[in-house]
Amino acid sequence: MAEPRTAPEESAREEGLAFLEPRVHAEGFPVAQVFGYAGSIILTFGSFFLVTRHLMPPVVLLAVILTLAVGQAALQLGVFMHIRESRGPAWQIVPLGLAFFIALGLIGMSVWIMMFKAGVS
Amino acid sequence: MALPGWMLYLIHTLFPANTRRPTELGADVLIIATGAILFYILIIKGRWRHVWTEWITTVDHKKIAVLYLIGALAMLFRAGVDALMLRTQLALPHQGLLSALEYDQLFTTHGTIMIFFMAMPFIFALFNAVIPLQIGSRDVAFPRLNAMSFWLFAFGALLLNMSFVVGGSPSAGWTAYPPLSENVFLPGVGQNYYLMSLLIAGIGTTMTGINFVVTILRMRAPGMTLMKLPLFAWSALMTSALIIFAFPPLTVALSMTLIDRLFQSSFFTLGHGGMPMMYVNLFWLFGHPEVYIVVLPAFGIFSEVVATFSSKRLFGYEVMVASLVSIMFLAYGTWVHHFFTMGAGPAVNAFFGLSTMLIAIPTGVKIFNWIFTMWGGRIRMTVAMLYQMAFIPTFVIGGATGIILATVPVDYQFHNTYFLVAHFHNVLIGGTLFGLLSGMYYWWPKMFGMKLDEHQGKWAFWLFFLGFWVTFFPQYLLGLEGMQRRMNTYPFGLGWHMLNVISTIGAFGMGAAFLVLVYNVVWSLRHGERDVTGDAWDGRTLEWAIPSPAPEYNFARIPVVNDRDPWWAMKESGATLANSLSASDIHAIELPKSTPVPFLLGASFFLFGFGMVFSWWYVAILGLLCVIGTLIYSGFNYEEHAMLSADAIRGTEASLGRLQA
Repeated sequence: MAEPRTAPEESAREEGLAFLEPRVHAEGFPVAQVFGYAGSIILTFGSFFLVTRHLMPPVVLLAVILTLAVGQAALQLGVFMHIRESRGPAWQIVPLGLAFFIALGLIGMSVWIMMFKAGVS
Repeated sequence: MALPGWMLYLIHTLFPANTRRPTELGADVLIIATGAILFYILIIKGRWRHVWTEWITTVDHKKIAVLYLIGALAMLFRAGVDALMLRTQLALPHQGLLSALEYDQLFTTHGTIMIFFMAMPFIFALFNAVIPLQIGSRDVAFPRLNAMSFWLFAFGALLLNMSFVVGGSPSAGWTAYPPLSENVFLPGVGQNYYLMSLLIAGIGTTMTGINFVVTILRMRAPGMTLMKLPLFAWSALMTSALIIFAFPPLTVALSMTLIDRLFQSSFFTLGHGGMPMMYVNLFWLFGHPEVYIVVLPAFGIFSEVVATFSSKRLFGYEVMVASLVSIMFLAYGTWVHHFFTMGAGPAVNAFFGLSTMLIAIPTGVKIFNWIFTMWGGRIRMTVAMLYQMAFIPTFVIGGATGIILATVPVDYQFHNTYFLVAHFHNVLIGGTLFGLLSGMYYWWPKMFGMKLDEHQGKWAFWLFFLGFWVTFFPQYLLGLEGMQRRMNTYPFGLGWHMLNVISTIGAFGMGAAFLVLVYNVVWSLRHGERDVTGDAWDGRTLEWAIPSPAPEYNFARIPVVNDRDPWWAMKESGATLANSLSASDIHAIELPKSTPVPFLLGASFFLFGFGMVFSWWYVAILGLLCVIGTLIYSGFNYEEHAMLSADAIRGTEASLGRLQA
């Protein structure tokens, strides 16, 4: 879905709106997307398989599925979430940094809060 | 005559005993009556085509705003009636008006609907109506996604409201803590309704958050730097930032509870290694930012209203922005104060008690800045301004009782008493609802082209304001006397009865205020003072520079912004958009086309949710396939824009008297 915009041939006359002009994508088979989709399916089912089959000790398992999760996140951001694309300033970097900051903070504090369980059980 | 087995099964599943009580049957009658009226208007009077083409398939942010507003006011009515029933029961605790189960169901739906289906859509109504106009844009960044958000909200709300008459209401409180919300304690479909409706509406809310972040960052008129952005737009940006990162924990918590209930897992159960307190942690990870999601827009509204009606530039703009940003960050770091009594330990509780008190600093800064804006200004006491004047003392008192509750040892006494109930109603009504109503009166001319009658509006305001204090001040005292929340009856002789009676009288005062408000709206739609200038209040920001209601394309020519209050600056220099527009300035504009996709997507999600609620897997799978099908259809639909010709725009602008001869 593109934003409403002035018709391309007229938009040059409207000051400062150049960044709204459509970018022409090369038509073709979406190779990267298909590989990305397959990769994300493999990563998801891979971690599900490792957990359900109890193939390794819990600590190792945790490390492996966390690594797979980081790979998954990188794949989603790189292939599907347009992180490498930008028209004008790369605004998407700001919320993304914020997301990492907030997510890590929330997870860290949650671990701290829920440690009470270790004290009582 | 014996009915076939499948029919009996359907009747017993859809209409179990707890949906065949007098209150539910009364609701059935009302629903059937409403349905008959709608049928008459749509089918018999033939308005169906108009409603379909102009409203249901629309992607225009201004129309979506109207739809959100209708939804929010309807939900305010529903949840308000819930509240009046609760208060009546508490004033007459031994008359057997409501059973314990009915009482539980009513406070659950009251809270859930007021937060998720009243406050949120009301906020989105104002965002949609105002933000694109304020930043000089022709629509939001993703118009179709915006319509999808609305229909997901609408069908989510439908699902939750249906529970009352089909299958049974949820009854575990709006927080729905496990293990109470698990199958063992609450069998039946009520909790499934709660979980599915919030999950569906939550998708819509998240998309709205993303939409407004992108809109505000990318669609501003040339020259409007972030430090020239109107404060309401700043508050929308911060609200959206909170939505994007606060809703995922809620989705996680609700999905895990749903999997517990439908597929017998044990994330939050008591046995099998479940950890109910993890739900509480996840819920409030969302729940505390949610408090600021609903109050930051009110802060933004007041910042616009106070500047306009004091005819003065907002005092301390930079500090206001800084405090909004710091509230956004701090809002993520205070959630444990909702469950101090879990006993996470002195270090955790002390940390979160302090972080809670810290948030009072930026809020206090904002209060002072609003007062300093009024200082020396020419104040006009309109209804919007009255809500602002009422908001300041009300919110300060609500904030002060919040500081009391943030003091950990004191909280152990106040936890889950009426003191807490009074506190959060004090900030949610005194902050959010006063703000939203102020915004409604302020932007009504821009949305509908006429003013709401001020005289009637003042009646509604005073009834509402006084009713509010009569309702909630006694509840502080009840809390101090030890009355717990969520109890449907209590013995006489504890000194609670008289206070409860007073509180109930106040609640009916607020009910009367709502009726006056509805009368005010209906009367003004027919006889209200038309706004022909487009600038009903002598405003300061860009939305007042265009006609009321705004034409489909908003701005015939995108304005260039050089000042923080651009429309005020234009008026000061004598130049107006009205007389600066010549025919050659106007070019054809590409606008998004109406599409049935958002409505169909919402309906598909509704089908999916309904199937999940009753564990009818074939229905759920069918719904999910419809969702996927709709999305694929939408994805391959390349004809999503239509050109509006320059001549058509010139005609519209000329008819509005905005074109140079």
